[in-house]
Amino acid sequence: MSIAIESLADDMYQMIAETQGKKNLKAGDLTKAMIAKHGEADCTKDLCKQAIRLLIDSERCVYSYFGGSYITLPHKEGAAPD
Amino acid sequence: MATATAKRITDIGPPHYEKFLHPVVKKNYGTWRYHENIQPGVLCHVAESGDRIYTVRAGSPRLLSVQTLRQFADLADRYADGYLRFTSRHNVEFLLSDREQIAPLVGALAELGFPVGGTNNAISNIVHTQGWVHCHSAATDASGIVKAVMDVLYDRFTHENLPAKLRIALACCLNMCGAVHCSDIAILGVHRRAPKVNHETLPRTCEVPTLIASCPTGAIRPATVAEKASVEVVQEQCMFCGNCYTVCPSMPLNDPENDGLSIWVGGKVSNARSAPAFSKLAIPFIPNNPPRWPEVVDAVVNIVDVYARHARKFERMGEWIARIGWPRFFELTGIPFTRYHLDDFKHAGLSYARSTHIRL
Amino acid sequence: MADDDTKTPLLDQLEEGPWPSFVTEIKRAGTKSPVCGDLLGQLEQSYAEKKGHWKHGGIVGVLGYGGGVIGRYSDLPEKYPNVAHFHTMRVNQPAGWFYTSDAIRTLCDIWEEHGSGLTNMHGSTGDIVFLGTRTDQLEPAFKKLTAAGFDLGGSGSSMRTPSCCVGQARCEWACYDTMALCDDLTRSYQDELHRPPFPYKFKIKCSGCPNDCVASIARADLSIIGTWKGEIQQDAGAIAEYAASGLDIQKDVCDRCPTRCMTYERGTLTIENRECVRCMHCINVMPKALGPGTERGATILIGAKAPIVQGALLSSVLVPFVPAEELAETIKELLKRVWEFWDEYGKNRERIGELIQRVGLANFLDAIGLDPVPEMVSAPRDNPFIFYQTDGDGH
Repeated sequence: MSIAIESLADDMYQMIAETQGKKNLKAGDLTKAMIAKHGEADCTKDLCKQAIRLLIDSERCVYSYFGGSYITLPHKEGAAPD
Repeated sequence: MATATAKRITDIGPPHYEKFLHPVVKKNYGTWRYHENIQPGVLCHVAESGDRIYTVRAGSPRLLSVQTLRQFADLADRYADGYLRFTSRHNVEFLLSDREQIAPLVGALAELGFPVGGTNNAISNIVHTQGWVHCHSAATDASGIVKAVMDVLYDRFTHENLPAKLRIALACCLNMCGAVHCSDIAILGVHRRAPKVNHETLPRTCEVPTLIASCPTGAIRPATVAEKASVEVVQEQCMFCGNCYTVCPSMPLNDPENDGLSIWVGGKVSNARSAPAFSKLAIPFIPNNPPRWPEVVDAVVNIVDVYARHARKFERMGEWIARIGWPRFFELTGIPFTRYHLDDFKHAGLSYARSTHIRL
Repeated sequence: MADDDTKTPLLDQLEEGPWPSFVTEIKRAGTKSPVCGDLLGQLEQSYAEKKGHWKHGGIVGVLGYGGGVIGRYSDLPEKYPNVAHFHTMRVNQPAGWFYTSDAIRTLCDIWEEHGSGLTNMHGSTGDIVFLGTRTDQLEPAFKKLTAAGFDLGGSGSSMRTPSCCVGQARCEWACYDTMALCDDLTRSYQDELHRPPFPYKFKIKCSGCPNDCVASIARADLSIIGTWKGEIQQDAGAIAEYAASGLDIQKDVCDRCPTRCMTYERGTLTIENRECVRCMHCINVMPKALGPGTERGATILIGAKAPIVQGALLSSVLVPFVPAEELAETIKELLKRVWEFWDEYGKNRERIGELIQRVGLANFLDAIGLDPVPEMVSAPRDNPFIFYQTDGDGH
């Protein structure tokens, strides 16, 4: 049975939180990790896409850019003035 | 930041182009038969129906205020039935159905300070990047050099008197947002000193493995500084590409005394006659000299003038050099040939002379 | 700010001379926008010090999108507080960069209210560039833009805003409808444009003929360049007109043909069309007399990019000819397969052209299900280090 988008988003969130500051994750990294974890039968690329969208639209995560686009926890912009 | 509401509009894409087309364009879409040159900067396209549309092209500084854009809109209303467009080289074009309006429009543009030209064998506008106006990695300014060069090449924009098209482009660093690498003359900002690692900010702003992986020559190595994970740069291996700085802001490589410009020649995009080609190094370094960069202007004008004097009709810069050979190019332009002209990156050997075809 | 700081003696020198001045533009916008005074101040300092003063941001944007806004901050925010934030919005241009005067005014009104009033028409990739605003103005500007029918373009690891030449709107050489294709692709991939899914950027550019006015072969990961099959169209009367008007057809047309596939004898132009490489020279010289053949379509090429990271590449041939009416469907199927492969194997910041160089064209073709054809190479390999396949005959 396909995994629910909400729980996929929770899994992704946990992974992002755990790697924060150590490794930045791209949409593709999250997708590959989720498919590896849940199996192709239950977890498709399209479901992962929807889960990422849920994370971003709910503002639990944000896109950030440093030479590539990553999905990270919301944080203060390093370059922004106080 | 605003929260999502049901009314929020996203993912609509740009407006459909059809509502921005002049009625004559819309009516004759896909059935144009030929075009004629009326004068530099003015074209006439003739459709199978016999309809004609006149294009008046004017140069712009690319960086435009809303005040100037509104003036363009007013000109479009007054002379061009309210329609205008822009070109891939930052020119503005007005589309006219009435030939009688050409002269008044050209006059009105001149009054506002916008030259009409840039067609056929004229120099078109210089494609360029943001420079110090807006970019973090710029080795030079873009708009200032473009302005200084075009001031001197102004008559080459308003007259179609070159052997062939001549395309100049400027990028303020190797990222080449202006993709200058296939231009007749490319002006390219270069850094010449390795990044200075900011060990204080690096641990919290950058991810070390990604940073190390970003270096195409493997010049960045892990290092522990003041008990914190950081990196060091092997100076001899750095080719000043700036890729690490894009990935990590704690690797700045701006250096006022050592940043500057390089000049490249002979590239082209069009398939006409010869195949598309990369520009090749002509001048490895010219220091930054704002506000008008006279050394850069002189170098570009010299190359343009030598080309204009020696190339045959229809020969683009690279085609002319292919005929006369690079030794003659350096001789005619008076540009010194140096060790920097010898490639030492991937596939370098392909650029070595592998025959005795030498014009002695 | 002290009076001395508002003086810009270096930049003022760039208001002299005949070419229109960007300094004048910044000053004009400054009559309405306080941002411009500080922009000029900081720029003047850059000119004095020969050094930029911007820091790049990585996080600002509009809700839900991962692209379209370039974060920018001054590294001298106390001195130039009005440009402490100076973000760029990339606004997706209408195909072919066509506008009505009213559309231009709408854009101006939005940017005067929510930004610096400074634009680029256009950025190098093709977007309308709105230069300089504060983080808190991004959402309101976006709301006004979408209400007016505009949307943001791409940035970061997303598909970038596709662009195209003027095409059939005003060019007799367009071998397919570039504006329709560009618009279709832009609409079809809104998600890829706004929510970065890729290892790095992906650019698509549509040129109507081999003159390639949008430089797709130099700049696009996927280059779609119009071409034709069969015979160049000729108008004998118009050829005679060109000859009568002084054009030396032998010297200026035939002798400049790269494959010498044409002869001009006793007023008759003969073209060996099998040997024509569709370079456009003869058609460019005599637009009234010659035209592309009637069986039209495009060549699809892949992999162009600027030097960062592994060196510049020109696009190379992927599909030699696709009929115009099959282009959109063929490209969408190809993109699906290409992106699938790139997603799987591409490294961070590795463009598709670099990935193909790394794995080899043959492996890439296997992965996307295309057969090798001789049009893909300038010549077959000249080295004998062949990876013969052991499973299957490799023919």
